[in-house]
Amino acid sequence: MIVLKNLTKQYTRDSVGLHEVDLHIEPGEFVSVVGQSGTGKTTMVKLLIAEERPSSGKIEIGGWDITNISSHDVPLLRRQIGVIFQDFKLLPQKTVLENVEFALEVAGEKKSRINQVVPRVLDIVGLSHKNERYPHQLSGGEQQRVAIARALVHRPKILVADEPTGNLDSINTQEIIGILKKINEFGTTILLVTHNREVVNQLKRRVVTLHDGRLISDEHKGKYRL
Amino acid sequence: MMASFFRIVKFSLQDIFRNMSLSFMTVLILILMLLSINTLIVVRVITDESIQTVKEQIDVSIYFHPESTEEEIGEVREYVGSFPEVENEVYLTKEEVLENFKDTYSDNKEILASLDELGENPLGPTLVVKTREPKDYEKIINALSVPEYENIIEAKTFGDTQVAIDRIHSITTQVERFTYFLTALFAIIAFVIIFNTIRVAIYTQRAEIGIKRLVGATNWFISGPYMLESLIFSIISVAVTYGIAHFSIGFLDPYMGVVFGETELLSTYFSSHLLLILGIEFVSVFLLTIVSSGLAMRRYLRT
Repeated sequence: MIVLKNLTKQYTRDSVGLHEVDLHIEPGEFVSVVGQSGTGKTTMVKLLIAEERPSSGKIEIGGWDITNISSHDVPLLRRQIGVIFQDFKLLPQKTVLENVEFALEVAGEKKSRINQVVPRVLDIVGLSHKNERYPHQLSGGEQQRVAIARALVHRPKILVADEPTGNLDSINTQEIIGILKKINEFGTTILLVTHNREVVNQLKRRVVTLHDGRLISDEHKGKYRL
Repeated sequence: MMASFFRIVKFSLQDIFRNMSLSFMTVLILILMLLSINTLIVVRVITDESIQTVKEQIDVSIYFHPESTEEEIGEVREYVGSFPEVENEVYLTKEEVLENFKDTYSDNKEILASLDELGENPLGPTLVVKTREPKDYEKIINALSVPEYENIIEAKTFGDTQVAIDRIHSITTQVERFTYFLTALFAIIAFVIIFNTIRVAIYTQRAEIGIKRLVGATNWFISGPYMLESLIFSIISVAVTYGIAHFSIGFLDPYMGVVFGETELLSTYFSSHLLLILGIEFVSVFLLTIVSSGLAMRRYLRT
């Protein structure tokens, strides 16, 4: 599903984001990428959604080589990968419903399909009763659930979560991890980037550890070891 | 395709209403700039009218000897009329000159009595010449100051008016240069202010642009609403400016009438140039906002 071959991202001569990383993630896996701040976790996310281009190596997603993806194809890629972030990245001038609809509208989906899919996804994340609210009228956990709903409307094969619980308390963290597990059970590959020890240890799933831009361990039922 | 277009229209209108204060400020700046340009147009119309009025006050009179024959006078008239610089010429016969003279001095009995004592008309015919530009008078006068016309032409008003003509020519040239300078200055100020207003408006929405890109929106889908907003802002600002200008001109025209004797000077100018003024203002504002939006967005649309 996700293949990184000898992947390197060098920003300047002294600043390396990732260094010769090899990683192979199978469909349906739930993989946690851990590491301290500045070890290349976010660089990996940026490379996966083509926000950055690699300096060398190769990236494949679902068999699609996106190493040198053209600007024209980037929107197509992003409609196939669901992404959620620590700061939620919701459009502040749009309601919950509009934020989720927007992801389908940019893809040119028909209104009838949008009306069918969006309420169902909002129901999955438990927010159908708040669909007319604006992001600033929601709690952090609720905002993250909106972001998850938006990431899910395309029925992506991959969901990349970059520190999704970084701004949340422990109760909301558990809720979000619970939703991610549920999504994974439906067959979506999850790549969870985090430095939350409790979350990683509780998941008991595959753990990839990065340190100074290098992949230093890859355990199939791992723990947070840093 | 049509669905995407309607969505762009929807997002554009949503942006305008949900960022009402920013939309209002942008339109306000555009209106202020357009009003400045309209003020400049009014200044130019008044300046042109003033210059024209002054120019119309000037002419050159060519006084013929009373003994000059019709044939000789005809030759001079034909020669003067052959100059492309001459706008018109009015010929006054001896009798008409005498009549005008009497009218001018109707209050002075002594002059009229001396005229009666002479018994005959001592005044010769006169040719009043008006040129297109004050500077051309000198050329006409010089052309007539040749030996073959010495016995035909008695006097020319050249000597008396040369200084005034030169002075007026100098003033009108300076005023024209100043208005050109003012126009250029206003255009630059307008460009800089509008350019920065739009850049600030886009800058405040840079995070949103980034989010739209992250969820897979194409550059066209992101920039479309901003382009449409530029169009809507341009239409609103030109329409409001037209309303204000129309009202102001109606207020100013009576005062212009007192000065220039033409009651609807500004109204006439604006109505006869309406399409041109509105067209140029709309195209300028629209291009400026579009280019500003495009340049401001370009950095946030890079992948």
